[in-house]
Amino acid sequence: MSLLEVSDLHTHFVTRDRDDRIRTARALNGVGFTLQKGRILGLVGESGAGKSLTVTSILGLLHPPARVVAGRALFQGRDLLAMSASERSALRGNRIGFVVQSAKASLDPLARVGEQLVRVQRAHARRSRREAMERAEAILAAVSIPDPKRRLAAWPHEFSGGMAQRVVIALALVNEPDLLIADEPTTALDVTVQAQILDLLSAAVRGRGIGAIIVTHDLGVVAQYCDDVAVMFAGSVVEQGPVAEVFPRPMHPYTQALLAATPERLRLGAGLRLGGPPPNLYALPEGCCYRLRCDRSRDVCRSAPPLAQVGDQRAACHFAREPAEAEA
Amino acid sequence: MRRALPFLLRRLVLLVPLLFVVALGTFVLLRLGGQDPSAMLAGPTATADEIARLRAQYGLDRPLPVQFLIWLGRVLNGDLGHSWISNRPVLAELVDRAPASLELLVLGVLIGALVGVPVGLISALRRGRGFDHAARLISLLGFSVPTYFLGLALLLIFFYVLEWAPPGMGRLSLMLDPPPRVTGSFLLDALFAGRWETAQSAAAQLVLPVASIAILCAAPIIAQTRAIALSVLSSPPIAYAEAQGLPPRTIARIALRNAATPVVTFIGAELVGLVGSGSLIEYVFAWGGTGQFGLDAIVKGDFAVVQGYVLLLAVFSVVVFLAVDLLVLVLEPRAGRA
Repeated sequence: MSLLEVSDLHTHFVTRDRDDRIRTARALNGVGFTLQKGRILGLVGESGAGKSLTVTSILGLLHPPARVVAGRALFQGRDLLAMSASERSALRGNRIGFVVQSAKASLDPLARVGEQLVRVQRAHARRSRREAMERAEAILAAVSIPDPKRRLAAWPHEFSGGMAQRVVIALALVNEPDLLIADEPTTALDVTVQAQILDLLSAAVRGRGIGAIIVTHDLGVVAQYCDDVAVMFAGSVVEQGPVAEVFPRPMHPYTQALLAATPERLRLGAGLRLGGPPPNLYALPEGCCYRLRCDRSRDVCRSAPPLAQVGDQRAACHFAREPAEAEA
Repeated sequence: MRRALPFLLRRLVLLVPLLFVVALGTFVLLRLGGQDPSAMLAGPTATADEIARLRAQYGLDRPLPVQFLIWLGRVLNGDLGHSWISNRPVLAELVDRAPASLELLVLGVLIGALVGVPVGLISALRRGRGFDHAARLISLLGFSVPTYFLGLALLLIFFYVLEWAPPGMGRLSLMLDPPPRVTGSFLLDALFAGRWETAQSAAAQLVLPVASIAILCAAPIIAQTRAIALSVLSSPPIAYAEAQGLPPRTIARIALRNAATPVVTFIGAELVGLVGSGSLIEYVFAWGGTGQFGLDAIVKGDFAVVQGYVLLLAVFSVVVFLAVDLLVLVLEPRAGRA
């Protein structure tokens, strides 16, 4: 049994325009991926591709006008999307730890860090305050926060960005979850701190043998820290598989373009092939969503692309099995 | 509370320049107003000679800076001057009347807040539904009704038509004597003295004016609380609390704590801001507090009273904001550092 198995996930934003006509933005269009225990999955894609939305949809954190309209998300065999709000809430922060993007803005400004760590423990387990406080201290030490006993009494605004991110990781880990989801955990941090946080995060996951999803737009992060990758474009996963297979031999033209746009490749003289806006979510193109930006687009792309599989690698493209054209 | 003392001291020091500027501003504005109190005091039959004598007697013929310094020197000695109309010391007049106004304002704002805050919160939680629409409509009505009209309308309905309330003729039935003065509030003093009939009458007289002020301040409190609650509910800490699977009651408590500071600050500002409307309400109900007294003095050119009244208002607003700041200090771990 997979740790997490998402299939055919559709999330829409339904709003009314000024003429009171209903408008539907199809933000997620059949997202599917699988995560095994003990592995780290990188969810990559450009802004607006639906990476964070995928995560918030699975966790049941959507607010109107966003709504999951179809799909399954099996966590340890139980469908997160079919269970009641309170059942999901019992899993969140407990079996599924969540690391937010902007730690400093997200921590409760009016509660000491120790209190927040105690709160999340006592929301999910019968535990005395004293015992919870001891565990809180231990977990702060585990995320390398110096002088953890004293820092338990500190307020969130007294932490730097990087230290606050460590606190958020501690909050996600304190209940010893089976799955850790990190939504752009280092976007708000400067580069030197980014590496420390990611090292910490992956060490914590590896050390516990749990599964993790890291949402990022940084292919370097995926290459360095993830076992698997799922590439998202316009609300669907266009390619997925082990990093060791996808990165050297990308099958989808979008993945190829993304990889070609990394600074190293550009320096080697590969032309920039990534251009154009994301498709209009209110009126998605027929067939393959990427065809308007794809340089291999043909008539056949007006029909939905099949899922091609080579080994553990899968890509949604009509030409996935054909070798990419010689790199320019 | 070890942060509170230095904070209070700093505020008290700041009070000195503030009061000076307020005093100077009031003094200059009054003199620029073009009122000539000596002519009014002397009466319509006075000769130019008599008016000149009065001007000299009150020092109005001296240069303005000298007048100001003389007044300031007396104020520093605790003498706010005498009312030209009643001939009583300004300080005594204000002290006599202040409790009446305070009683009205504090009770009105307290009731307005006790109604407005929960209504605003529920409105935010049921955004876009029936309760929310009703609350916003009522709030809009409260915003748009003119102050004096509200008082008169309440009198018309509850005194004249329904005969539920006593007439708006002061703080006590004309048949009763005021209780011995302790706090200055007739209701409290009557209760202390055990005079139930007097207390009953004082309470009955309070109902309509207090209701007017409560309605006047509930409207903005509803609107503001609703807006604050909505922004807190959609803030990252609440989204994160949900992501941690905290129970709804814990999340509600986090939201309330985060909304408390701006709401308390706003209510404090309302209390100070309602002093003006409160004066009009006092007029309508012949309340005889400092508000009505001060307004009267402005109309009649009773300079010393106006100056004393404005100083009193400045001190009042400082005290209210100080109280608000102390509350915020309790509610907000980040306050008191800046």
